[in-house]
Amino acid sequence: MKWYEVISTIDRRIIYVLLTVLVILPFFTRVTIPQNIMPQTQRLFDFIESVPPNDKAVIMTFDYSPQTMPECHPMAKALLKHCFARNIPVIGVSFDPQGPGLAVDAITSVVDRINHYATSKEDSLVYGKDYVYLGWKSGRIAAMLDMGESIAGVFPRDYFGTSVDSFPLMQRIRNYKEVAIAIVLSAAAYPDDWIRYPQTRYGVNIGAGLTAVMAPKYYPFLQTGQIAGMMSGMKGAAEYEKLVLEHGYARELGTAETGMNSQSMIHILIIVFILLGNIGYFFSRRQK
Amino acid sequence: MKRIIPLFICLLIGFSMIIQFFIPHPTSLEFGSTIYKWVIVLIVFALVLAIGNLIRHHGTKIRRQKKDWPYSIVTLSSMIGMAIIGLFWGIQAESLFQKIYLNVFAPLSATMFALLAYYMASAAYRAFRARSLEATLLLAAAFIVMIGFMPFGQYIHPRFPAFAEWVMRVPNMASQRGILLGVAFGAIATALKIILGIERAWLGGKE
Repeated sequence: MKWYEVISTIDRRIIYVLLTVLVILPFFTRVTIPQNIMPQTQRLFDFIESVPPNDKAVIMTFDYSPQTMPECHPMAKALLKHCFARNIPVIGVSFDPQGPGLAVDAITSVVDRINHYATSKEDSLVYGKDYVYLGWKSGRIAAMLDMGESIAGVFPRDYFGTSVDSFPLMQRIRNYKEVAIAIVLSAAAYPDDWIRYPQTRYGVNIGAGLTAVMAPKYYPFLQTGQIAGMMSGMKGAAEYEKLVLEHGYARELGTAETGMNSQSMIHILIIVFILLGNIGYFFSRRQK
Repeated sequence: MKRIIPLFICLLIGFSMIIQFFIPHPTSLEFGSTIYKWVIVLIVFALVLAIGNLIRHHGTKIRRQKKDWPYSIVTLSSMIGMAIIGLFWGIQAESLFQKIYLNVFAPLSATMFALLAYYMASAAYRAFRARSLEATLLLAAAFIVMIGFMPFGQYIHPRFPAFAEWVMRVPNMASQRGILLGVAFGAIATALKIILGIERAWLGGKE
């Protein structure tokens, strides 16, 4: 067997073993490759920076499932840290039935951490005053549109069964007029619906946190300003984590940073294998 | 009559909702809000139907002991078990429901998805060959974006990330915009065909 035949017919089990090793390895090392910030992530961060504290709310939609958790979950946590640090109230909703479990986890972990370090009652986050999670609702397009008239009308009770009208936050935030931006954390085409319906009808600003495979589809909306800013994939999450840390809104980086190291290793491996395959293909064709 | 009445309802509601969307009058908004609430309730009924179908399908499989029927027991018992746990012991952050979701369902679900990485790496190695001009262009674009979006892309050349971003922002955006416009026009045409009763496949049965 010629050398170029060897490099173009590597056994898939070798690829699998290398892949496994390279995914695991970064979790045991402390190497951090600095992130360069993409403009769309910076735009989303800047938008949140421009929202006045204790005024309009940020709607966060948890529309991702455990399959895409490594990409979208760190985005959710970084965004929550940013909003809470700037005293921006957060309203969580889900239109994906798999979203609530992850939403509760993201919100609880961030709130517990902030409250753990809180030095006074004023520094602590209070459910119903600083944030609420309204849960899942069927018929997302109808629900998104109706929230423009009354959020409590669509979600009369929160995820845990408490009347939404009893929360001080929801007495103040009634519809999209009191919402600064709706940030869609999604692994499906949910931002399309937000742009087509609530934005067209009520002019609500839309932000997005999307999986890397979905992000290219939303560049036209970024260019027109229909999407105020966007985090794309794990890289977007790592960039946002870095921005939040650099501005003193968090004590440490999140999981996206470590995840990015694993992802980068895999990308290098794939590039190397594609190159080997093509070199082998090129030489074998020349021989023929 | 079986066809005329649904077609008439479709025509009436379809045009009403289009007109309603562009008129911000309180009466129009009230009408829209009522219809949206109806839609939300109707979709919940679709979920009930889905659960019924799931129980019937797997129930039949278990009763007749068809191929892989033990998996149907797992499916049904998981569904019923989670529903009982959620209904009787709550869904709070510390609840058993949430613990099962995060520690059983989430890792299982993520593992299934993670297997994709192995197939993708193997498939990319075998299939991503510069066999033609189009394939070579695709390969070059993929390399630029992959390297540019990696954190160390900036160390290969400081302008690499910006170049990758340009690929996404200009050639990618142009093609995406073309696709989006095509899809939008197609959706408008299909919606109009349904509202006007030209497209009747949604009624079911024969034409």
